[in-house]
Amino acid sequence: MKIKYVCALGVALALGILSSKAQVLNRLKQKVSDKTEQKAGNEIDKLFGGKKKAGTDQSGGNSGANGAGNNGGAGGNNPGNNSGAGLISTPPDVKQNLIDAEAAYKKTSYGEARYAVQQAMLGVELEIGNKILKSLPESVVGLTKDAAADQVTSTGWGWAGLTIQRDYKGAKDKQLNVIVANNSVWMAGVNAYLSSGGYAQQTSGQQNWKQTKVKGYRAIIEFNEGSGYKLSVPIGQSSIIVYEGINFATEPDMMKAAEAIDIDSIKKELGEQ
Amino acid sequence: MKKITLLGLGIIACIAATAQDFDKNIATARSSYSSGNLQDSRFAMEQVLRDLDMAIGKEILKLLPAKAGALAMVEKEDNVSGTGSYVGLYVNRHYGADPKRASIEIMNNSPLINSLTTILSMPILGGMMRDENQKIVKVQGYKSILNKHVNTETGKTDYELQIPMNNTLLTLKMDDTSEGDITAVANGIQLAKIVQMAQ
Repeated sequence: MKIKYVCALGVALALGILSSKAQVLNRLKQKVSDKTEQKAGNEIDKLFGGKKKAGTDQSGGNSGANGAGNNGGAGGNNPGNNSGAGLISTPPDVKQNLIDAEAAYKKTSYGEARYAVQQAMLGVELEIGNKILKSLPESVVGLTKDAAADQVTSTGWGWAGLTIQRDYKGAKDKQLNVIVANNSVWMAGVNAYLSSGGYAQQTSGQQNWKQTKVKGYRAIIEFNEGSGYKLSVPIGQSSIIVYEGINFATEPDMMKAAEAIDIDSIKKELGEQ
Repeated sequence: MKKITLLGLGIIACIAATAQDFDKNIATARSSYSSGNLQDSRFAMEQVLRDLDMAIGKEILKLLPAKAGALAMVEKEDNVSGTGSYVGLYVNRHYGADPKRASIEIMNNSPLINSLTTILSMPILGGMMRDENQKIVKVQGYKSILNKHVNTETGKTDYELQIPMNNTLLTLKMDDTSEGDITAVANGIQLAKIVQMAQ
């Protein structure tokens, strides 16, 4: 019986040694192969008139930042950008654009006049958006604002016009996104549901949406396991506030967070009745 | 002669009215902005954009031909509208009378632009979607889509030519015509000037 154990142990050891030998061999092969590929790569670069790469740690197929300094390469060898301060955010000068528009109109350069008015409108919308962002609280139900995520978007066309976003973040990936959209096609759909009673409620199974009220405004609240709570509140004729609650424990938690936003002030700022 | 004089006076009156609206709205936009009333300023600007679209539309109408082949324009059906918003400019002129009519329609930011441009810029897709009643032609250097429609009851052939130019779509429709005739009419339209004005 003992002999059997000893034999089994011997076989296991032998296999182990063989396996580790195989691994060592594989690593050696890999190294040799890498070096060969690198050499071959260098030879190909030379052949096609390329300069020798600045870095020797080029990994195959990984284009981008590694290729810094090699401007002659084509396709995947393009250098990745690792500097530059980006664009300067300069909202259009509303007054100047209105003056330009008037001057262009007098010269019957209507296209130029239209462009100038669109720029002026863009400037005004960005100002409206920034004023709304300033009016929003610094924190909501323990979540603090993510200043870097503050965003005002305007097309300057006055149609899908203006979108304002503020994110509040807290522990355990809890997050509240507040999105205000003005002249939004989005809200037309929500209003249609609210006015037609299109959202039928159910009493059995999982309730994923229902009508509710936030500070006296009719709204729709939805729940999705993947994205969390979403509360849509149409305000006035053409605006909507959407609250997205991620990792909120319950519906009352979500509603409490939504109540912290001063809807009347936003409505006034947007000129809604 | 009287009719022409009246028509001229009508056009002048329209232009004067547009100019007055423009001046009034831009003054409102400026004063509202200065007083911090951003919403009223924005609303006035929307009106200004509408006024400008109307003015541009009227200028474009002047560039459109008075005749489409043998069909004379129907001036009273000339239509210009400006929404001041995304869709913006819309100009429409009709020619002839039933049963043979033609029309030119110019629209900024038409919802059709994207799909037409896709067909024109991707020959493979265009090839897959090709049917015998549609072909791609060039009009004054602009790639365009020519659609043929044969009326099974009357046996007559109607054509429609769609010319996308940046974000402006010009559509020429002609009843009971031939490919040669519609192309000739299209070549008589001042496309480059229209697109420059509409942008």
